[in-house]
Amino acid sequence: MAALLTANASDYSQYMVSTSRDAVADEAAWIGQAQRSDRRAFEALYRLHVDKIYGLCLRMTGNVSEAEDCTQDAFIQAWNKLGKFRGDSAFATWLHRIAVNTVLGRMRKSKREQDRIEVLADTAPAPLASNDAGDLRDLSEAINRLPARARHVFVLHAVYGYSHDEAGHMLGIAAGTSKAQLHRARRLLSQQLTQQGFEA
Amino acid sequence: MTEFEDDKLTQAAKRLTTEIRPERDLWPGIANAIDAPRRSGWMPTFAQAAAIVLLVGASSAVTYVTVKGQQQPFRQVSPDLIFEQASFGSRYNLGPGFQDARSALTAQLDVELERLSPESRAEVERNLELVHTAIFEINQALEQNPDNALLQAKLLMAYREELSVLRRVGGLTRNVMMRNDI
Repeated sequence: MAALLTANASDYSQYMVSTSRDAVADEAAWIGQAQRSDRRAFEALYRLHVDKIYGLCLRMTGNVSEAEDCTQDAFIQAWNKLGKFRGDSAFATWLHRIAVNTVLGRMRKSKREQDRIEVLADTAPAPLASNDAGDLRDLSEAINRLPARARHVFVLHAVYGYSHDEAGHMLGIAAGTSKAQLHRARRLLSQQLTQQGFEA
Repeated sequence: MTEFEDDKLTQAAKRLTTEIRPERDLWPGIANAIDAPRRSGWMPTFAQAAAIVLLVGASSAVTYVTVKGQQQPFRQVSPDLIFEQASFGSRYNLGPGFQDARSALTAQLDVELERLSPESRAEVERNLELVHTAIFEINQALEQNPDNALLQAKLLMAYREELSVLRRVGGLTRNVMMRNDI
């Protein structure tokens, strides 16, 4: 319980010595160990997937601090739900769903929070810019300025490649609504990018 | 929006980075959270019970911390309770509503535990021990730094967790009794 007061030193290096060829086998082993409450194995899973989950959270929230909170919440949720993971889907997909639910849950929890995210997304320096190629920075910033629902659909469908059925399921909306929101997102993005002379 | 623009946008979206490294290491915060007493998988209703206890004892939960005027003396809590050394610094203290709720639950604890299976009883006792250890350690830290807001928040969290566990024990035994009745 001392960890309530101080963070334990990381000691996961022994879990991270494999090559990419062994990554799948390693991941499966780490999942099994983490399901038996091996925290270091879970840390290895965190290191393996954090960039994917943070990327998704950042795209969905458009805000660095919100994305950090969502990422942490998502992994805490994953730890608590690990016993229920049966491998029916890839672990990354399972984590993605948890992350999406976390983002949505946090935004539902407080409308004021959602408003704050929107405002920050409009005013803060573009946090995604440095991660994208130069010609895509305008697009990243434009996505950040989309209304939340349209942004979520665009990110899941257009950026991450989920189908409308999958995106709708994750977002708790009908596939038709997902299509409508995507159309709205594209229209808004086009308006923004045309003004900026976007060339992809 | 023309079809050409639409297609250009779609292609550009697919080229966006999907993996982004956080600017800071997020693991320490996660590690702290998962090192806290883990929610057991007793039953889904217990999570609801934990939430209910915070609602039922709204005044208690909200008055965990009672702002004291500087001219008011520091209130001492009952010495037979685990939180006898509780301290939220020079200006705060546990509210009497919380103490009453906890006392009532604690008084029933032994009776309730007797109704549980040995496995469930052991898990409850393990959870309570973890919480009590946390409370003890945080109180020790607070002795050195009584006005540390982070420590005060952690202590508050630990008390909430204890109350939650106690309340869940009650929910467990009620379910046992219902099954026996049938």
